[in-house]
Parts: sequence; structure tokens; C-alpha cells
Amino acid sequence: MNRLNQLLGQLSANKADAIRQKNPDDVVIVGAYRTAIGKGGRGSFKDTGSDYLLTQLFSAFLKKTGVDASLIEDVAVGNVLNRAAGATEHRAASLASGIPDTAAFVALNRQCSSGLMAISDIANKIKCGEIDCGLAAGVESMSLNYGPQAIPKLDPHVEENEGAKKCLIPMGITNENVAEKYNISREVQDEFAANSYAKASEAVASGKFKDEILPIEVTIAEEEEDDDGEDKVVYKKVVVDTDEGPRQGVTAAKLAKLKPAFKPTGVTHAGNASQVSDGAACVLLMRRSLAESKGYPIQGKFVLCCSVGVPPEIMGVGPAYAIPKVLQKSGLTVDDVSVFEINEAFAGQCLFSQKQCNIPDAKLNPKGGAIALGHPLGCTGARQYATILRELQPGEIGVTSMCIGTGMGAASVLVKE
Amino acid sequence: MLSFRTTGYNGYGVQYSPFFDSKLAVATAANYGLVGNGRLYILNIEPNGSITSPISWETQDGLFDLSWSEVHENQVATASGDGLVKLFDFTVGQFPVMNWKEHLREVFSVNWNLVEKDKFVTASWDGLIKVWTPSRNTSLMTLQPQIDSITKTVQINQPPMSHQANHQNPGSTANCVYNAQFSPHSPSTILSCNGSSHVSVWDIRSPDMLQLDFIAHGGLEALTCDWNKYKPTVIASGGTDKSIRIWDLRMIDRPNAFGAPSPAYHTRGPSPMNELLGHEFAVRKVQWSPHDAQELMSTSYDMTSRIWRDSSNERARFLNGARGVLQMGGGCRGVFRTHKEFVIGCDYSLWGEPGWVTTTGWDEMVYVWDAKRV
Repeated sequence: MNRLNQLLGQLSANKADAIRQKNPDDVVIVGAYRTAIGKGGRGSFKDTGSDYLLTQLFSAFLKKTGVDASLIEDVAVGNVLNRAAGATEHRAASLASGIPDTAAFVALNRQCSSGLMAISDIANKIKCGEIDCGLAAGVESMSLNYGPQAIPKLDPHVEENEGAKKCLIPMGITNENVAEKYNISREVQDEFAANSYAKASEAVASGKFKDEILPIEVTIAEEEEDDDGEDKVVYKKVVVDTDEGPRQGVTAAKLAKLKPAFKPTGVTHAGNASQVSDGAACVLLMRRSLAESKGYPIQGKFVLCCSVGVPPEIMGVGPAYAIPKVLQKSGLTVDDVSVFEINEAFAGQCLFSQKQCNIPDAKLNPKGGAIALGHPLGCTGARQYATILRELQPGEIGVTSMCIGTGMGAASVLVKE
Repeated sequence: MLSFRTTGYNGYGVQYSPFFDSKLAVATAANYGLVGNGRLYILNIEPNGSITSPISWETQDGLFDLSWSEVHENQVATASGDGLVKLFDFTVGQFPVMNWKEHLREVFSVNWNLVEKDKFVTASWDGLIKVWTPSRNTSLMTLQPQIDSITKTVQINQPPMSHQANHQNPGSTANCVYNAQFSPHSPSTILSCNGSSHVSVWDIRSPDMLQLDFIAHGGLEALTCDWNKYKPTVIASGGTDKSIRIWDLRMIDRPNAFGAPSPAYHTRGPSPMNELLGHEFAVRKVQWSPHDAQELMSTSYDMTSRIWRDSSNERARFLNGARGVLQMGGGCRGVFRTHKEFVIGCDYSLWGEPGWVTTTGWDEMVYVWDAKRV
């Protein structure tokens, strides 16, 4: 019996245990932080460009973690709305924050999963030995970049194609399609949304986000009346450290009074869809052997990330396909996972994904989701890492996932250490 | 590739004779070594390429390792699960010529001194390392590594295997010594590794025998270690973290002034000179080539045996890559996938064209193959 136990100790019993094992070639998370999420258009970040948000976050991150910035070999930043995904201004931000120019830079855009794709990109480079340490981030200023100019145009020849045309369907309509196709009533969506608000406002009130948010200083322009009664613009410096999206007292009954936003008979409205927001988040990844040799504390282990394609007209079902795929590839079941962070682009699509994967309510978005917190598009994937690493206990496995405009889903697996 | 089946017995150790180019000895255990008898095989590689077994002995408990005598061409020492160390002579059938009973638990390794050829060393799960000479009835000396039951980075939840009360507490493996090897360069130096991730270096001439002690595998069990045959200060170790690590002993701090090993809470340990990654399960044995200072082989629970190149340079560490140990560190040069179960034992042939090796494992097979051609 002793010999059998001895042998068993040298082998791992199941896949979840194997994933929890600590091996020197693991990709590990040394730090994951984010800014507070500002309300789009009228929040604290309304006058702050994505490049300055990123600069402030990176500077605060380096200060907070004390990591030697010269170790960083590559910086990947996910972004959706900036021109060219922010390839120039975010490289500039990386330099401005004190990361040396020896670190390479890449701008990534896979719509709402861009932040996660940045993490996956850096992690894969570490896995295959291209680099030992990289910084992944996501940033979005919807205040400044979200508007009519963000609506894409297709060449008329391409637009003739049925499939191609579907890529232009507004996101709200895709949720109407999901709700209609899978029979998700407005009542359950409102209930879900109210619940998200309740969880998030409770988390804000009890300081549960304090650990993951790095306070940053930005400038706001405010109109004030001067002595002569004339309007003038005053610039104020403010330190932002609290999410602005969540509000207390949102109930399903109150949400029921809101008008549908996308079609008169629709079920999607401002209260059960994600908010327009600004924010940034970043995750520092290293090979475990490097992190250990430098003595940096390890927060978690990156395991795997998968993306899938789904029909563009019901793009919200993405997580329902991406989560089973990533679980299957890593040999896990829903029961092995302790927390799921699924982006709440809309209540309908999130509910469908939850039901499809049989995820218990208690495991889903324990501190609320994008309906209450906001969904700064490119930032969200990285934001989920900052959040989930504070929700998991050491040894627990977490999954983050989101649907992606034009018909995709992405999901990733990580372990808290 | 040549093969031999040890029918009914699962292979644990295999070694080429240092006297005959066509002889192998194989230590095996029935029922995967969990319970039951053991058997020591002497194998002949015939000119026509077949392998035959002129003699074998059955033992009371499984045999986990063996070592050919360096002074007597007919003799083999074995490590047995019941704590016995036995010496067999292949001109004497049926019984061992010597039997030593001192270890209290499974003896897991036995290794003959290549310089002072009258000594050999054993390591046991009772936490002790013992040095023996064939002519004496008792051991010459006993080394006891400090027990470090705290270092363990992963708590693995195992499924219950039994409901009997006396099976519920599996006990700690922290003090099990898995391997002890005499240095091929200095007759009095011993290298050992144990279940709490420690690798230790001993000098049996010194009053404070423990010379070096460090955590080699991040708190996970260190299952195997071996001396480089050309560089006296370079060793390799392997463990349940699936890595093989190459160390330069000169770069490791000596134990502190009080002679104590590094503190138990210290789970990180020093940085290796090189790290060879690729095995998908724990590494069970590492063995440096007798022909090439940069080549080593390994066996693993992932059912493969691998040939590695270690291009790290202990004399010019700055060449080993500025950032990490991975660049310019060499890597896997071949994977032998013929075994169908855990591969446990391996050895390099000292004879003929360099590169011939032998492996054995739980699939009851002994293979002789050319490391240059995998």
C-alpha cells in the first residue's frame, strides 16, 4: 500500500490535478491589475485618451509590483476602436510608462476578446520559447472613439454576399436574434441584469474590487460658470479608484419599465445590456522558472485559450461553444471549475451560454459583470483576469469567456496559486 | 534494436557489465513492484543479435536497482523492497553470496564506487544512505539527510484507494532517499536526492559529511541524480516536476556555519545551470553518457526514454544565454517510444561504438538500442 501511495504521489491522478501541478515551463501570471471602469461619455475618463489610460496603468503597475521592466520582452495590447487598434499610440504609451524600447510591441484586435487575445498571444510566445516574459493588456476609450465613425462599411460587391452582410448586424439586434431563437424572455433577462447590478454594487460597497484596481490620476474638463455668469472649461485633476458603472437599487421591476432599444417589440434595453465604458487592464506573464529565479510572487497559472466561430447574426452564443471547447482541450469538466467570468455583453446571450454549459448561478460572475460594471471593449478580456484572480482560492480553476462581434467566442482556463 | 522479455516481472533497473561487452543485468519485480517477488536476470547479447538469459534468481521481494561489482566480474549487488541488500555471483546458482539486512524499508538504489572499487552505496526509503564493502557483514557507515517534511509545493488530492483505516494515512515521502551515487571523480564523494526535493553532496572523509544541500525541484520530489562523467562539478537531477536540471556544484552555497542544510521553508532553491524540459510525467532516471560530456539520457513515467544534449558551459556561464537558461541550452535529441509502460531503468554501454544504450520498464521489456538513431 505504501509503495502504491508513493507511486501515486509521483503521478497526477486526474487532469485537474495535472493542471494544478507547478512545472518550470508553466506560463504564470505575476500580476493582474486594472483601472477603475469609467462611465462612457460622462465618467471620469471621458477626456482621457486610451494611450494616457494605458501609460498611467503601466506606470502604476510597475510601481505596485516592483517588477524589473527590462525583463519585459514583448507588450501586446488589445484594442477595438482606435484607428489601427492603437498600434502607434499604445507603443508610445508603453515607452512613456517606463518600459524600455527593447520590449517589442503588438496591437491586437479580435473585437471584444482583444484583451484576452493579448494574454493568449504573450502566453503562447512564452510557451514556445520565443520570450520569457511579456506584458498583455487591453484598453478602450469608448468615450472618445465610439460613435458613427466606428460603423464599418463594406464594398458593395462584398455586401451582396448573405454571410458577409451579417457581419454588419448591430450587436443589439444579434441579441434580439438570440433571445428569439432560444426563447429567452425579457423577464429573465431583466432578472439577470438586476442580479448583476446587485452583485456589483455590493462588491463596490464592500471594497471587493480594491485589490485589483490601481488608482490613476487623469484630467477632466468641466464646464463651470465664471463670475460673469459665462461658461468656461476648467481642467481638474482627479484620482480615479472606483468603478462608476454599478448602482444600487436596480430591480427587475424597475428595469421592466425601460423601452426596448433596438426594435419596438424587442427585449434588449439599456438596463440589460453592457454599458459603454472606458478602462484599461494588464496582466504580466512569465515562464515559471524565470519568475521563481527572480523571486516574484506568482498569482496564477495560464493554462489554455481557445477561440471559435459562430454565426454572426447570433454572435452572443460564442461562449456556449468556446467554453466546452477549452474545457475539452484541457481535459476538464464544469465541475472542476470554481468560477466562470463570462462577459455580459447582453443578458440574453450570457444566460443562453450559462444554460448551454450548465453553469450553476453561484459560479457565474460572482462580483457582477459588464451589465453593471461596463464593457470597455478591448479591455474586458484582461479585466476579467484581474477580477477572477481575486475570486479564486489557491488551487482553484477559473474560466473567462466572452462573445465576439461578427460571430465568435473565446474562452480561457487559468489556475489560482 | 534488440529486446528481451522478462515475462511476469516488471523491469526496474538495468546495467551493462563493466567486464563483458555482451552482458547485462536486470533487476525486476513482480506485480509492478507493488507486492510480490523480484527476479535478477543476467542477460547475454549473442553474436546473432538475440538476447538470452543464462541465469536468474528469484527473491522474496521486488528488486528496485542493481549495480555490477567493479572488482569481481561475476558479481552484482541488488536493492530489494524488504530492505535487504544482496550480492549475487553468476557462477553460483540459487542463492546470493551475501545478504545484508540493515535498511528498514525499501532499498531504492545501489551504486558501486568506480574509483575505490571495494565500496558501494545504497539509498533507502527509511531515510538512510549506507556505504558497504562486500567483505564485511555490516555497513561501513550511515549517512542521514535532514528530514524536511515542510517543503512541498503541491497538495495533490488523490482518489481514495481503500477504505481500511490503516490505509488512510499514506505517510510522508519527504525523507525517502531515492538515489545515491558515488562520484566517478572523487572516491569519497556521494550525491543523493530525496522526496522533499533536496539534492545533497556528502564527503565521507569529513567529520561534517554533508557538504552541500539544496532544493532542486521546487519542492517536488527529486527522484534521480547523476554525476557528469567528465566535469567533476556538474551533476544532473530529475524529479516529479518533469524537468531535468543541470547544476554546477560550485555555484551552490554551502550549508550555513552550523552545518545545517538550507531551511525547510526555502522552497525555491538555487538556479540550475540548465533545464531540460519535455517529459510529460515525472523523470525517473537520468544518466550521463560515458562518452560525451554533453549528452545524457533519461527515463520517465511518460513511457519514453529521451536522449538530451546539454550545451551549457560551466566554465563560461555568460555564454549560457543572457536572459534565461533556455537559450543555447541544448535540448532533446531523441525520443525512444517503444516501451508500452513506464520506463524506469537505463544505462549506457561502455563498449564498442558510443551510443548503445539499454532501457527497461513496466512493460516487462528490456531494449538495447542506438541512441544516435532515435
